[in-house]
Amino acid sequence: MTPVLHNKAAGSGLPESSGTPGSADSAHSAAHASTGQPAVPATAPPRPGRLTALLEAVGGADDGLFDPPGPRGRRRIAVASAVSLLALAALAWAVVHQFDAHGQLHAAQWRIFGQWPVLHYLLTALWATVRVTLVSGAIALPLGALLALGRLARTPLLRWPATVYVEVLRAVPLLLLIYAFLFGLPTAGVHLPLFWQLVWPIVFTNAAVFAEIFRSGVRALPRGQTEAAYALGLNHWTAMRLVVLPQAVRQTAPALVSQLVRLLKDSTLGYVVSFLELLNAAKVLGEFDHTVVQAYLVVAVVYVLVNTALAGTAGWLERRLGGPSPTRGRPTV
Amino acid sequence: MGLIADHIGVFGSGLRVSAEISACTFVLAALLGAVLAVCRISPVLPLRVFSRLYVAVLRSIPLLVLLTLFVFGLPEIGIVYSLQWTAVTAMSLYWAAFFCEVLRAGVRAVPRGQIEAARALGLGFGQTLRLVVLPQAARSIIQPAASLLIAVTLNSSLAAAVGVTQELTGQTELLDQQYAQPLVTFGAAAVAYVAIALCVGRLAGFLDRKMAVTR
Amino acid sequence: MNAIPSLPRSARSRALAAGALAAAALFATACSSNSSSGSSAVPGSNAGKATVKSDTDTVAALIAAEQPATDIKPGSTAARIKAQGTLRVGGTQTAALFSLLDPTTGKVEGFDAAMSQLLAKYIIGKPSTDLVNVTAQTREALLKGHQVDTVFATYTITPERAKQVAFAGPYYQDGLAIEVRKGTTGISSLADLNGKTVVTESGSTVPTAVKAAAPKAKIQLFDTNTECVQALSQHRADAYVLDQGILAGNAVTNKDVQVLPGTYTKEPYGIGLPLDEPDFKDFVNTWLQKVEADGTWAKVWKATVGTEVPGPVPTPPAVG
Repeated sequence: MTPVLHNKAAGSGLPESSGTPGSADSAHSAAHASTGQPAVPATAPPRPGRLTALLEAVGGADDGLFDPPGPRGRRRIAVASAVSLLALAALAWAVVHQFDAHGQLHAAQWRIFGQWPVLHYLLTALWATVRVTLVSGAIALPLGALLALGRLARTPLLRWPATVYVEVLRAVPLLLLIYAFLFGLPTAGVHLPLFWQLVWPIVFTNAAVFAEIFRSGVRALPRGQTEAAYALGLNHWTAMRLVVLPQAVRQTAPALVSQLVRLLKDSTLGYVVSFLELLNAAKVLGEFDHTVVQAYLVVAVVYVLVNTALAGTAGWLERRLGGPSPTRGRPTV
Repeated sequence: MGLIADHIGVFGSGLRVSAEISACTFVLAALLGAVLAVCRISPVLPLRVFSRLYVAVLRSIPLLVLLTLFVFGLPEIGIVYSLQWTAVTAMSLYWAAFFCEVLRAGVRAVPRGQIEAARALGLGFGQTLRLVVLPQAARSIIQPAASLLIAVTLNSSLAAAVGVTQELTGQTELLDQQYAQPLVTFGAAAVAYVAIALCVGRLAGFLDRKMAVTR
Repeated sequence: MNAIPSLPRSARSRALAAGALAAAALFATACSSNSSSGSSAVPGSNAGKATVKSDTDTVAALIAAEQPATDIKPGSTAARIKAQGTLRVGGTQTAALFSLLDPTTGKVEGFDAAMSQLLAKYIIGKPSTDLVNVTAQTREALLKGHQVDTVFATYTITPERAKQVAFAGPYYQDGLAIEVRKGTTGISSLADLNGKTVVTESGSTVPTAVKAAAPKAKIQLFDTNTECVQALSQHRADAYVLDQGILAGNAVTNKDVQVLPGTYTKEPYGIGLPLDEPDFKDFVNTWLQKVEADGTWAKVWKATVGTEVPGPVPTPPAVG
């Protein structure tokens, strides 16, 4: 993270030492910034280096609560950056040190995770989690959109069933629904495979939530949009399809993504139907190898990676669907 | 049902511990969430990056995983304190990520024109935040914050999975073990949780109406 | 359940979404295996850590040697299971020594797992079982709904449970014992646990027994044996109460803890069966008597529980 500091310092015409440990990386970055220097007028904001740009992308731009900083403001920000960086580094070091001091980083504690059968087991569990998420999401999203359309329809014939469905399904705890599928369906003579015993309850609850998200997105659109569409001679459904829904989807992208993350976490209920997913895998591994903390740490990292990938894909899809919405910034996860 | 009536005291004490855990978690998460939100909108890039990563990571991990890591992980690195507070720590850190997002959304919900107008009037950053942004943000925060409180309360039941057996779910588990009547015992506990959720929701609705302004 | 219309909309939606998760959590936390599971645990130390595995070869040989039943009556439950080609077993994957999934092989190992496979071989002619995860909340309902044919889950026979499901056996008997950290003084019986924090597995019969002897004991529940031992050695609890065999296994591999002599209760494990299939209960009981008489039972014990629990092979409890 040091290069950021150098860049800022170079850009704002400050001496380029500030006591940070030099590394090849930071030297490179500083050089990069200083070659760019002549093109930058003294008062203009610093031209971001590649790393700064990357961090900006991760950190996101600020929300326009501030005036663009002047030279003194930039200096203050640079100092604050340095201080906060040091503090964060100290925090990270303290954590690692504590773990190391108590032998938790010892290779023996982690050896089991290097064995192929165990990795294979974890990957199987991961794939199960991903599959549940993808399949549930792929069914629940369109279903939610249909339900939202139903709730927004003008005929009570469509509106009422959709409204009742959404209200009821959001009120039923997912676990109860899973139990209902587990105990209820066989009594009715329906036998579902394990996978679908988990997927359908997830789909039914999440479709209701997705419907609400879509609907709030539609309602948040300026009414002028619909009116303009009608004025152009489009009927209700065409206006919905061509004008309202595309905008609503973009508007609600952040909410949709966080609901998808929640959906992924819903899959941890898989143990109820003895479906092997990640959390279950952690529990089994912890019991098998007596390394509860290590097993859960590994699984936690996997959850973070998967959810980040999920959010990244969603963001990419959103951009493909027509770029970031004009009024708001990037979606957050 | 007589089973529930006979053990109403058990449910009462369980409910008290659950309320304690939830309240502590909620307050701590709110404080930490506020700090994170300030980091998130600050002009200091490392803080923004940290806050954003924190939120992304903490929201990705199932709460049960986080709880297990804290309860069994902290003693491994030499930090042991009461189980209940360990659980509160983990849950506060988890919910702070959600709180940060709620607060940030609240600030973002204030129309940009308001901020620009405040600046045009010559108000500084602090004044803008205090006099213009926060009062308006507070109103739009009430509802999501209430939802969060409900979520915190309901999810406090996860503490039972890591040995905080004094709380409602843990007590219910003990009763169920003794009488083998999961439908009755857990049904009663579920009713208690739903009742809490309803009360909090009503309170929030009331506050919301009181503070409502038309823009 | 549409009882929440008075909530403001946004609060409602989130509250309910959260509610779903949480109510799930509420049940989730309550679920786990049954009264026992066991093995070693030396959390946080590298010395003496041993992964305990059942003697799978012996178990496989025993299953291969098991002769299928020849007297299955047409129309009986056993005939139905034979026709269905696999025995649906309610069990768990996280009970060491009894029913623990080995992630490296994908096989479930232990005493319960071996016994269920033996029964499957006896009925069907091949050891084909379909393990369905059961928890303390689901096992009675799954049996009543005929979702599983049997439950092998260190399932202690209690009068309350016997009202809802039938038990074949008992096929195993243990008693509760106390495990403490080495150097602990002042605990020598269940009554001494008054005011102490006692850790045990959720879903076990321990809390009732401890509460009866020491009403002021604080009970702490964890899902698995490893977590319980860890809580004990991390000073989260003063004592760990569970079936003696499992505790003995812990003491073999974890040098921090020791089992106090003596057991305090009788914990007969039964094979859970649906209440409305009395013919199957008789069938399973007859099979149990056979495997106990021909020495198979003892060999299974030796190859699973016996790999970790010291001492001679116990006498199986009287069936019926």
